[in-house]
Amino acid sequence: MDVHKHFGGVHAVNGVSFALERGRIHGLIGPNGSGKTTLFNCITGLERLDAGHVMLEGERIEGLKPWQIARRGVGRTFQVIRVFPELTALENLLVVTTGPHETARAQALELLSFVKLEGLADEYAGNLSYGQQKLVEFVRMLMRDPLLILLDEPAAGVNRTLLNDLLDAVRRLRDAGKTVLLVEHDMKVVMGLCETVFVLDHGEKIAEGPPGAIQSDERVVEAYFGR
Amino acid sequence: MNVVITPAMVGQVIISGLLSGVLYSMVALGLALIFGVMRIINVAHGPLLMLGAYTTFFLHQQLGINPYLSVPISMLVLFGVGVLLERTLVFRVIDAPELSSLLLTFGISIALVNAAQLAFTSDLRSVEYLTGSWVVGAFAFSKPRVIAFVFAAGLTAAAFLFLQYTRLGKAIRATSQSREVAMVCGIDVGAIHRLTFGLASALAAAGGALIAVIVAIQPEMGQIWTFKSFLVIVLGGAGNYPGALLGGMLLGLVEQLASLFLTTQLSEVVAYVLLVLVLLVRPTGLLGGRQT
Amino acid sequence: MKRLGPLAVAVVVVLALAVYPMVGSGYGTRSVLQVFMWIALAGSWNLISGLTGYVSFGHVAFFGAGAYTAGILIAGSGWSWPLAALAGGLAAGLLALGIGVPCLRLKGPYFAIAMLGLNEVLRALVSYFEGLTGGGNGLSLPTLDATVPVYYAMGLTAVGVTVAARLIISSRFGLRLMTIREDEVAAEAMGIPTFRHKLLAFLLSAIGPGIAGALTARDQGYIEPLSVFPLATTITMIVMTLFGGKGTVWGPVLGAAVLFVAQELVWARYPYVHPLLFGAIIVAVVLAMPRGVLGLLQTKYRLPRTI
Repeated sequence: MDVHKHFGGVHAVNGVSFALERGRIHGLIGPNGSGKTTLFNCITGLERLDAGHVMLEGERIEGLKPWQIARRGVGRTFQVIRVFPELTALENLLVVTTGPHETARAQALELLSFVKLEGLADEYAGNLSYGQQKLVEFVRMLMRDPLLILLDEPAAGVNRTLLNDLLDAVRRLRDAGKTVLLVEHDMKVVMGLCETVFVLDHGEKIAEGPPGAIQSDERVVEAYFGR
Repeated sequence: MNVVITPAMVGQVIISGLLSGVLYSMVALGLALIFGVMRIINVAHGPLLMLGAYTTFFLHQQLGINPYLSVPISMLVLFGVGVLLERTLVFRVIDAPELSSLLLTFGISIALVNAAQLAFTSDLRSVEYLTGSWVVGAFAFSKPRVIAFVFAAGLTAAAFLFLQYTRLGKAIRATSQSREVAMVCGIDVGAIHRLTFGLASALAAAGGALIAVIVAIQPEMGQIWTFKSFLVIVLGGAGNYPGALLGGMLLGLVEQLASLFLTTQLSEVVAYVLLVLVLLVRPTGLLGGRQT
Repeated sequence: MKRLGPLAVAVVVVLALAVYPMVGSGYGTRSVLQVFMWIALAGSWNLISGLTGYVSFGHVAFFGAGAYTAGILIAGSGWSWPLAALAGGLAAGLLALGIGVPCLRLKGPYFAIAMLGLNEVLRALVSYFEGLTGGGNGLSLPTLDATVPVYYAMGLTAVGVTVAARLIISSRFGLRLMTIREDEVAAEAMGIPTFRHKLLAFLLSAIGPGIAGALTARDQGYIEPLSVFPLATTITMIVMTLFGGKGTVWGPVLGAAVLFVAQELVWARYPYVHPLLFGAIIVAVVLAMPRGVLGLLQTKYRLPRTI
């Protein structure tokens, strides 16, 4: 897997370029407004790039429609939960795939039990708790068996137990060969989970490396705490 | 089809186009304001214009009030109606899915049109006050249209000055930029919504009052104005207030230009083709809209 | 027994409706024919607007397009009316594709208002091309008493639309249409090609009204721009669907039956009041009961999607 990305122009994200390695968990951090979510939207096609490109498995995917990118194997969650509230938890997962109905149903139920929600499969997603909705969104993304998983603040607003389950799940996905890129504000999560961390500030990449090195990087400290 | 087009005809088209275009701009500015501030397409905008037209008609017929003097009265009346509608119904769907606000204002629009039919009958009515044209050289200037132009230009300019320079106007613009920020800055967003809806209805009412002197009115006249106003804000870029000005002029010109080749019966078709073309070529409008 | 119950009811209802024209009065037959028409129209509106949330304010355009297509084919080219009815459905479907391609690319309000204009445009075009359509004078079809066969054809159309809705709503295609209503951006990001889905739903939603318009043209024997493009027809199908429950299978059927009867029994005495009440019902349903009667029952008692 090789994701490569440049941006031109003076925009939220400016000339950021980085590569993701298959089977690793990458963290994307930076102060508020540094362009993290914009970057996610560019990768998934929700926002157009002004310049530059995004490569997935050696093919350029920028300029494709969001649904095409999703079908190429990019799955994501959103910072603000975006489940389909008037669909049940099960239906939220079912809509994502195309194959035969029975296979899809079995897969969806399996994923729901993966996050211990099998008992709530027929509940409207809008009636679930915040944490449960977050889990539904998480497994919904897995229905397409994505190569690259983008998580936008998975830890926000989630209690400890749930968070640990979620982080476990992310590790298992990594072990299964998935590539993960996550935006997160909780530094404990980032430091404990990620193998490589990218730091954005004002739309530019200011650092890249293993968590330990990042923590002591002067530019990073400066970006977060000011001079 | 053999059409010989002379420079004089083109001049006449430009004159007529601009005369009606400013009227479109003014009415559409109301729709654009509501869309900008409340993120709602008010389907009842045209029917509110119709109520403005009837207000002027009855003031003229019953009380003998000069229709041009009644423009501010109609505006005031419809300002009240707008505020009332916002306060009782529309505010409930501001954060709801757009399906709700579209259907709600559609329901209001039907109720208004049919209430008008019950109260005023479907008869065509006209305010016979001013007819004929001023002729300058080769060009004819329809009198009621020229006066409508003057009023519309003045009111539109006043609306822009209000938005640009007054405290309330700035509050409206701030709310349309970001409701959260406006709220944090101590702006009473609910009051701004009522004010916006009232102002927009007043602009529609002014349009209706001026139209009543130009053509005959009837309760169903409004729908097409909702459509044309929407077309104007699409042309100019939804949520972009100066864009509404440009869009109105453009619609006026295109309609008049088309009337050189086609019967006026087809003016709505021309407007529609224009809408479809713009949507195909430049979905954000000519001046670019704000993305949500 | 549990599965047989509803089926038995359905069989009885269908049989009763099938023999009705032979035993019922002419007025009764016409009334049921009207209910069939409203079921077909409301059910079709529900397919695009109830499921995807893209509100069509001009759905009567398809009804009118079907009516004129059939009228011209029957009066001008001597087609038999069943064939002309199919052609009416086809013409409406093609019109939906033509309008849908530019207008469904955009978010809801654009589509809604574009549809509001479409009706006016078609009316103007029909009036303009007098040679073909008879313009404002209207178009007379050869005399033929076809009320009973049209009754069956309209009934078939209503059944067809309802069965289509049942199949769509219980399928993943239907659920995907609902994701467009719920959160179109998320749907795209999950790999759902929303544009194609909307276009297909829109196409399907146009065919029923096209056929219904064609059948109505045959039944009435005379069409004119004002009679086949009334905004009131769009309003009525919207009210019926909203009242019964948008996005449900049986909501439009319930809405059509209840509101038609109410219209005949109560409101017929106060002719101008009922459109006013329709406006009020829309406002009331949107504010107080956004899911309609069946939608409310569905969420309250956890009924399956297939009601």
